[in-house]
Amino acid sequence: MSKKSEVLHVGIDLGTSRSSISASNGVRHVVESYVGWPADMVARKLVKKPILFGREALDNRPMLELRRPLERGLIKEGSERDELAVRELLRHLVSLAGGRDGQPVRAVVGVPAEALRVSRQNLRSAVKGLADALMIVSEPFAVAYGMDALLHTMIIDIGAGTTDFCVMRGRYPTEEDQRTLTNAGDSIDEQLATLVRARHPDAQFSIYMVREWKEKWSFVGEPRGPVTVTVQKGARGVSVDITGEMRRACESVLAPIAETMTDLLARVEPEYQERVRHNIVLAGGGSQIPGLAAALERTLAEYGGGAVRVVEDPVFAGSNGSLAIALDASEGDWESLAG
Amino acid sequence: MVPAPRLKQRLLRQAVRANLDTIRGRPLRALRTRSHLWRALERGALLALVPTLAVLIFQVASRSVPAPAADPARAGTMLATFPAPRALAPVTAALAVRRIVLDPGHGGHDSGARAAGIWEKEITLDVARELRRLLQAARYDVVLTRDADAFLSLRERAQRANAERADLFVSVHVNSVPSQDCHAVETYYLGPADDPRAEALAGTENRESGYQLADFRRLLEGVYVHVRQAESRKLAQQIQHELVDVLGNTNPAIRDKGVRSAPFLVLVASDAPGVLAEVSCLSNDDEAARLAESGYRQRIARALFLGIHGYAEARNRTATLGTTQEASR
Repeated sequence: MSKKSEVLHVGIDLGTSRSSISASNGVRHVVESYVGWPADMVARKLVKKPILFGREALDNRPMLELRRPLERGLIKEGSERDELAVRELLRHLVSLAGGRDGQPVRAVVGVPAEALRVSRQNLRSAVKGLADALMIVSEPFAVAYGMDALLHTMIIDIGAGTTDFCVMRGRYPTEEDQRTLTNAGDSIDEQLATLVRARHPDAQFSIYMVREWKEKWSFVGEPRGPVTVTVQKGARGVSVDITGEMRRACESVLAPIAETMTDLLARVEPEYQERVRHNIVLAGGGSQIPGLAAALERTLAEYGGGAVRVVEDPVFAGSNGSLAIALDASEGDWESLAG
Repeated sequence: MVPAPRLKQRLLRQAVRANLDTIRGRPLRALRTRSHLWRALERGALLALVPTLAVLIFQVASRSVPAPAADPARAGTMLATFPAPRALAPVTAALAVRRIVLDPGHGGHDSGARAAGIWEKEITLDVARELRRLLQAARYDVVLTRDADAFLSLRERAQRANAERADLFVSVHVNSVPSQDCHAVETYYLGPADDPRAEALAGTENRESGYQLADFRRLLEGVYVHVRQAESRKLAQQIQHELVDVLGNTNPAIRDKGVRSAPFLVLVASDAPGVLAEVSCLSNDDEAARLAESGYRQRIARALFLGIHGYAEARNRTATLGTTQEASR
């Protein structure tokens, strides 16, 4: 039996767009969820690595076979390469935690709720062997656990692939406590690309550029200023104003999120509805869209008012929550989960 | 009020149990709302699956297949117009489910029922697309008979399923009846109608069939193809159970109308085991309002997915068992 102090506990947030790790030795890292293998011998010679991760993989993408293995919040099954990509990404994250040689590792991995629901067996086999003992939980649960928000709280985790809703009712979330929408970060990117392409048919840009524009200038409601980006037109860089397109793309997720939020609220026991309404937490990368929380609060005004706040430290909220679960689990729990 | 540390402990224990369920290959406790009795019956049914299939295979193998029509010229015409429904080959009883053809009901000028500003054809396509996403994520090969607002006759739908060599065929529809009280969810498999209402519904859904009267005898022979019928019934039971289970959680008004048989032509002419699911009731205002919400349509798709996946997993386990037994001989 390992003493708790000898073990490295890690919490991992395995996301579609970004994955983060928080370890009991204080180490924290975040990487973009891209995994790339050199496409051929020449590429391997140039990148000088057998495998690249995150930003480095993205920057070298012309030379790589690039994978983003959790598209739409699910492990992309049917492709051994994508399962391998999940595994390599997790191995990379665990290595970043900097455990000592031979130090036992116990990991809690938070995944999008839909992935846990649909592909939990595949997830488990993909991550098997990466730690001495392993627990997989849904991302909204990990966030709620880390915040001690286990009762009368609604977590809305807006990721890249999915938006997960979870009402915490003092029990491990069941089917009726959760919802998943595919209106999330990626759908905003797709919408933005379509709108910009419609207005500037001769403009050349990639989905990676669109993603960067969204991360820098997304907003709901009133813009802080004009959103101007550079696109290529006939090999020439040209500035174009995409303020209107950015607003429409970002606001495209507002209606489905508001609709699902109110639908879930209506299903909470009447005596607790007001408490939940005043205790809504936005998590995930999408929670950073300026104006989104305020817009959702305006929706709640029609139902007697409510409060929507954005989770502190959104990049690490999930991995910190997973680490809290890892540290709280008993020796007996970990022994039963070993192997 | 439970103190916070005790609450955390309790939730942690539940999370560990859910993980142990996964390790042991059991359904998540958090997702299981079935009674102990149901689970016991389910386990019993699984154990009984192998001998039951063996008996069914024997029955089909020893059964004399009806002779083709006496008039060769007519038989030739019929064969040219559409392939006759064939009995499921006994060997397929040991095969796994890989390819699923989903059939979103109606389309094009055949819009189906309408309420709250939405057409049945729009709902069925939306549900089928979401269901395709879920099934593909779980490694199934999925084909839609239509992926746009296009008209297809029932005959073309069945032909598509047969051409794709579907292992399963699932047709998605939304009920519409004169009564406002209708909150029914029901799943049909191929067989003679078991009540007048089912017969009337089959009549409604069999419009725009693309078949001629001359095709009927051959079609009706297909109604009684035993193995396919038995498998279709099992698939229907799984789907109906999940529809009631999943939708009932958020829609207490849902009425479980159960699994029924009816001679839907789209099921008759497809070679694969198939069902027709009436996932909601558009003529009811409350149901129509729910169907207008994307979240509710996603739940319907998820329920259908759980039903299909549950059935396929049981089949695939049988297939694996068969292979293992074969190898050990």
